[in-house]
Amino acid sequence: MSVVRIALLIAAKDLRIERRTRTALHTAILFATLVLLVVVFARDGGSVSLLTLAPSVLWITIALSSLVALNRAFTLEREHAAIEGILLAPVSRTALFLGKWLANLAFVGLVLLVAFPLWILFYGVAVSWALVSVLAVAGLAMIGITAVGTLFSAMAVRTRHAELILPVLVLPFLLPPIFFAAQATVRLLASRPLVELWGSFRFLLLYDVAFAVLAALLFPAVVDE
Amino acid sequence: MPESGNYMIAGYLVVAVIVVGYVVNLWRRGNESR
Amino acid sequence: MPDAASAGRQIRRGRVVTVIALLGLAALYVMALQFTPPERTMGLVQKLYYVHPPAAYAMQLAFLTTGFCSLLYLLLRDERFDLFAEASAEVGMVMGVIVVITGPIWGRPAWGVWWAWEPRLTFTVLELLVFGGYFALRGAIRDPAERAKFAAVLGLMALVLVPFNHLTVYYFASQHPEPVALRAGKPALPFEMLRTFLTGFGVFTVLYVGLAMQRYGIGARRAIQEATDA
Repeated sequence: MSVVRIALLIAAKDLRIERRTRTALHTAILFATLVLLVVVFARDGGSVSLLTLAPSVLWITIALSSLVALNRAFTLEREHAAIEGILLAPVSRTALFLGKWLANLAFVGLVLLVAFPLWILFYGVAVSWALVSVLAVAGLAMIGITAVGTLFSAMAVRTRHAELILPVLVLPFLLPPIFFAAQATVRLLASRPLVELWGSFRFLLLYDVAFAVLAALLFPAVVDE
Repeated sequence: MPESGNYMIAGYLVVAVIVVGYVVNLWRRGNESR
Repeated sequence: MPDAASAGRQIRRGRVVTVIALLGLAALYVMALQFTPPERTMGLVQKLYYVHPPAAYAMQLAFLTTGFCSLLYLLLRDERFDLFAEASAEVGMVMGVIVVITGPIWGRPAWGVWWAWEPRLTFTVLELLVFGGYFALRGAIRDPAERAKFAAVLGLMALVLVPFNHLTVYYFASQHPEPVALRAGKPALPFEMLRTFLTGFGVFTVLYVGLAMQRYGIGARRAIQEATDA
């Protein structure tokens, strides 16, 4: 079987477990919604408009929800001791990484798809075609974010207080892509000319490629004894 | 700018305190449990 | 695996180098404070120029060394690379702390505010956060082999993050009001200033080497103890 096929099977297995229980997905969506609300309540309504905060809130929500989702991925394995089973099977570690990464990406993507309309609603964002581009930027950023997160969550789960270690490891790596993604979001919402987005776009693409390749190369070292 | 000198002294003191503090810390750790 | 005798030797050698570096630092203080003319527009605070950038450079040197030692550890699985990566990272943290404290002290009289998101200071903060995570991770793993492996993975990731962080802080800073330029005598630095400036870099290099050697010896001794306890 090819690496891609195995990766798809692993991702499908992960998501199937998810679909059967659904608790994690529901909880993650609930969490994302709460983050959206926290900012609404933690603001001085008289002086700061929600629309000004909207791009920042979107990216805060994406960052925090990704962390919650990534924590889930490997605690699931630990609880069911499933990873040992997969590791015993003659499955390439790269395929395992790709599978986990795809599952994480799908999970975070689903959470975002639910949170996105709520964000538009709560923050009074004007509905326009620019929002499709914002989603595309989010997708582009999430590729790299989940690649880094998949690698780090595999490490964090084997430490004491994994829930604390993961955000501390992942967040410094999220700051650069989040900065550029937020830049792009602000420009898109202000319908600035597309040329202004090129810099952010290129940075995110470079980040995705660099960290996806590196994480895939390093993952075998992390899971193998 | 006379107070500029105060900032300078503060800066040089900070460097000295941190460096010496770390050297002492390493000295202690280097001596323990022989 | 280094033995106890070589660990002790390493610590002693490190101490010798550190003493030389401390003498150098004292000499640098005298040179900078007594024998280097003050800069005309910024006044005396500009003299932080002889310790702040050298510390920033030493931090960068330390973290890059950690990155390359991490790579070598992953390729060769020699424990000494892990020990040196850890030692170098700790010295890097100390240098970074010097940078982020002296930065605002210089910034206050120069820009009028303590913190202006100046790119290099922002970069230092980002690096300190990454390596804060590095030590958090090390502290949370008991098995020495696993700790070394995971730390090396993070160290290498941090190395690749460096150019991305550089890009980010420069774009980031371009959105903040430009602080009053700090180009301390960039066009044609007078000879006395240049001499002190370069001495600063030399002193901090020796300081880095001495501190890292000591820390390596301490780490090696701890590793030996861990192995005998196990």
